[in-house]
Amino acid sequence: MPTNLPRSDRVILEANPDHWNKERGPRLERVVFRNDIDHAEALDLVCDTEGEIDIVTEVSPADAARVENSEHAYLVSIDAMRVVSGLINRNAEFMVDVRVRKALNLAVDRDRLISDVFLGYAHPVAAMAPPYSWESPDDLEPYPHDAGEARRLLSEAGWPRDRALRLAATTEVEALARHLADDFRDALGIEVDLTVIPDEDVRPAQKTLVEKNLPLNFDVLVHAWFDLAAGYPPAVIHREYYFSGGAFRAGPPVPEFEDLMGRSVVETDAQKLGELGKEIDRLVHDEALSVFLCCPQSLVAVNNHVDFTGHAATFELAETEVSAEHWSRRNGG
Amino acid sequence: MTQPTRQAAAEQKRRTPMGTVHVVDPHPLNWLYITWNTMEEPVRTDERGHIVGAAMEDAHWEGSTLVVKVREGIRFQDGEPLTAHSVKRAFDEVQKWRAPHPPGTYLNFHPDTRVEVPDDYTIRFEFPEPDGLALAKFRGFHIASTRFWEEEGFGYRKYGTGEGHW
Repeated sequence: MPTNLPRSDRVILEANPDHWNKERGPRLERVVFRNDIDHAEALDLVCDTEGEIDIVTEVSPADAARVENSEHAYLVSIDAMRVVSGLINRNAEFMVDVRVRKALNLAVDRDRLISDVFLGYAHPVAAMAPPYSWESPDDLEPYPHDAGEARRLLSEAGWPRDRALRLAATTEVEALARHLADDFRDALGIEVDLTVIPDEDVRPAQKTLVEKNLPLNFDVLVHAWFDLAAGYPPAVIHREYYFSGGAFRAGPPVPEFEDLMGRSVVETDAQKLGELGKEIDRLVHDEALSVFLCCPQSLVAVNNHVDFTGHAATFELAETEVSAEHWSRRNGG
Repeated sequence: MTQPTRQAAAEQKRRTPMGTVHVVDPHPLNWLYITWNTMEEPVRTDERGHIVGAAMEDAHWEGSTLVVKVREGIRFQDGEPLTAHSVKRAFDEVQKWRAPHPPGTYLNFHPDTRVEVPDDYTIRFEFPEPDGLALAKFRGFHIASTRFWEEEGFGYRKYGTGEGHW
């Protein structure tokens, strides 16, 4: 995706007062996206000043308390369509064995991971579908933290004691990867070689993963992804990780998965499609096709006089409005 | 703090947009969020991420054909009415390319899909086989005025192509 292309300093959106959806918005006259201020400075400005920056997205959990305690801003936490997992390279030795993959899942203390790394701003996840993405509740539960069973399964699968687990991560999920490495070491009693991919090497690493022409030099890659809508996560999440045409598939296609996806792409009945989606989520859980971790919340710092409406799958401002006390309206602006 | 203004807005459906906000959004999908803040699509997502109708008022399947009722009364920013013809134009523009969507080709419609416009506010997508993900694909189906396609297009003027740039 063209995600790192240069941005202009500012992008200004002006309201279309003739928009058909009057009930929704737009309620703001103007939105100015400021690309000429770095994130840390923007956070300073929204927390400590008025009239400079009104909304800052992608607040880290570490900065959440600062926003909550600030004089000028409040924190919005959104159950976002985001998921972080350990992408398992099923082409690597031992990783084709479901016992090994289950052992990795049982080794993770998700509650502690969410508490320590995300400071509570995340939800545990049983498989790859965010738990709030379905129309109705599901009975699928996250793998429990069970070091004894994890170690037993790993031993049963014949994992050599001197075989280190190769864990990889990008810098943006490095803290999570370090925590995960500790969980694997503690629960499984094996060494973990953690490789943090330098930012300048991410693009070629992505290329290797997507093209699938070269062997991958990891067993597990800590990986973050997202969905563009709720309702049917397999279309964007599961498909990318496991489907034969998926960009992040690292291992042979799974026949049962291929069958379910094949049925879902021609299913036009929404209820039946939802059921197929749940079957897919259960399959990837049962086969432990990834190390299922959590769904981080999206955190946004918002000026006190801005009524911001968060969206799970996007960042839209149609419903957002400002009160009469907002700097842009105080002087009749 | 924020509740009173929300209630007031709900009661007063026609109101003049007021105020300015300054936003810093480093998210790598910011380009897409801006697109969604400014363009029309058949569907959008609500606060929880669920797909709801937007320019599409209603839709139903007739075998492998999706019949879409286009909402009447929509105008683009330049005043041109949004009709089924606008939807067809957007479809035709995107179908020219192999990979027009930066998020991935899963958003593509089948290349053999045919589109008919029986009247100004009805459009029929005749897929070679039922497309269970059609409504999800509509989320990435940006509808624009004639002027947009003639003068700008998605990458046309800058790159000379509408292929996704990744």
